[in-house]
Amino acid sequence: MSQPVRPASRRPSPRLRGASVWLIALLVALVATVQIRSQAEVERSLAGTDTTSLAFLIDDLHRANDLLDAETADLTGRQAALQSGSAGSADQVLAAEAAHLRAIEGLTPVHGPGVVIVIDAGGLGVLDLQDAINNLSAGGGEAIDVNGHRIVVGVATSQANGSVTVGGEPISPPWTISVIGDPTRLLEVAQLMTQQLRTDRRVRQADYRVETDLAIRSVVSERPYVYAIGS
Amino acid sequence: MSRKQLASAALVAAVALATGFVLAGQVRTQLLTPSNQVARHEALVRSVQDLEATNADSRRRIAALRAQIDSLEAQAAQRSASTQELRNQLADLQAHAGLTPMHGPGVEVVLASGVPTPDLTDQTSYLVSYQDVQDVVNLLFAQGAEGISVGGRRITPLSAFSGSEGQVVIDQGPPLTSPLKLTAVGDRNQMEAALADPSVLPDIRARQVEFHLKLTFSGGPDVSLPAYDSSLQIPYVSAG
Repeated sequence: MSQPVRPASRRPSPRLRGASVWLIALLVALVATVQIRSQAEVERSLAGTDTTSLAFLIDDLHRANDLLDAETADLTGRQAALQSGSAGSADQVLAAEAAHLRAIEGLTPVHGPGVVIVIDAGGLGVLDLQDAINNLSAGGGEAIDVNGHRIVVGVATSQANGSVTVGGEPISPPWTISVIGDPTRLLEVAQLMTQQLRTDRRVRQADYRVETDLAIRSVVSERPYVYAIGS
Repeated sequence: MSRKQLASAALVAAVALATGFVLAGQVRTQLLTPSNQVARHEALVRSVQDLEATNADSRRRIAALRAQIDSLEAQAAQRSASTQELRNQLADLQAHAGLTPMHGPGVEVVLASGVPTPDLTDQTSYLVSYQDVQDVVNLLFAQGAEGISVGGRRITPLSAFSGSEGQVVIDQGPPLTSPLKLTAVGDRNQMEAALADPSVLPDIRARQVEFHLKLTFSGGPDVSLPAYDSSLQIPYVSAG
């Protein structure tokens, strides 16, 4: 009796089966490695700052660098005038710089394009005022007045007996904040600020108006240094 | 092979082909999207780095120009009494504008980010924000500071704070991150007493408890502030 013969072609040889298993294992490992590495790369690079924040940062840096370029150009002009050597030109440069610094330090009345924001509210504190002032400064404000008080960084704003004080003097609502500066940017800030304020239950009214030539008459008193020594 | 077997084989082949396409598409989406995101993110990071390098160069150039102008003004003042008088007036204004280095008694404050919580709805409160810096600066000025620097950047009468997610931007400088050192020259005792008062800086105090945000300070007999090295342009303001 003859033994039944298994058809050899129906089953692959053990060597071929082993190779197939290794090939599949290799492919799975390859795909898994690529996948895991891609994921790790994304996580590592996105770990710091998100894309939106980076885009805002780029915008801010462009604006900052433009301002630095303008300052460099201004200083280069001043340097050239001084290098011309005449006493008259030196006096002109010094006087112009002094006038410029007086305006920055709030020591002289100023005017220019800007916005006026009126906020009538009960219960707003000094932090609300400081936030408003900082937002306007960061949004292109160059000179600020609140209820007839000139504001520059360094003027003390605080809270005493429930009321907000500027330079030691209480200011009562409504707050009228006058800001001179880049009208386009200030308009955006004023719109956003008043929009947000109107959602605050403490706020009865928050409005703004644009002025083409806004005058700020208030000035800061000069404060001689008591502790600081110039280097 | 019968017609039925042929049809079955064709069906299996078609299903296998469709599955292959779906799998390939899926793998491609999975691999390409992250790599595109990475490339875009890296391009943005490179832009930030380039702009920061330009920014640093410009600030160095501004500092150098101011030093050269100061020297030229000193030479001009030696030649004329009226120029000397103007220069004396200007020196005081420059000091108050933060354009000259300053030293004296004062305090050093360190603000450092805390620890994130598992609460997914609040992922930033543990970070030092620009509002924290703004609050400490305002407190110090209200308590007798005559000059302040933050992270080596001098605060001027025009200074403004901005930023997001743990980054603090002051004026035209690059973003600063935790830990941030604030240095103030002025009435040291008054500033120390204010910083030790638990009723001030309520937001920071609350986050010290909840997120372990750090606020430490120490007084010193002689702390130093650098000169301001950026723009003081006010193109929209006219005197008068």
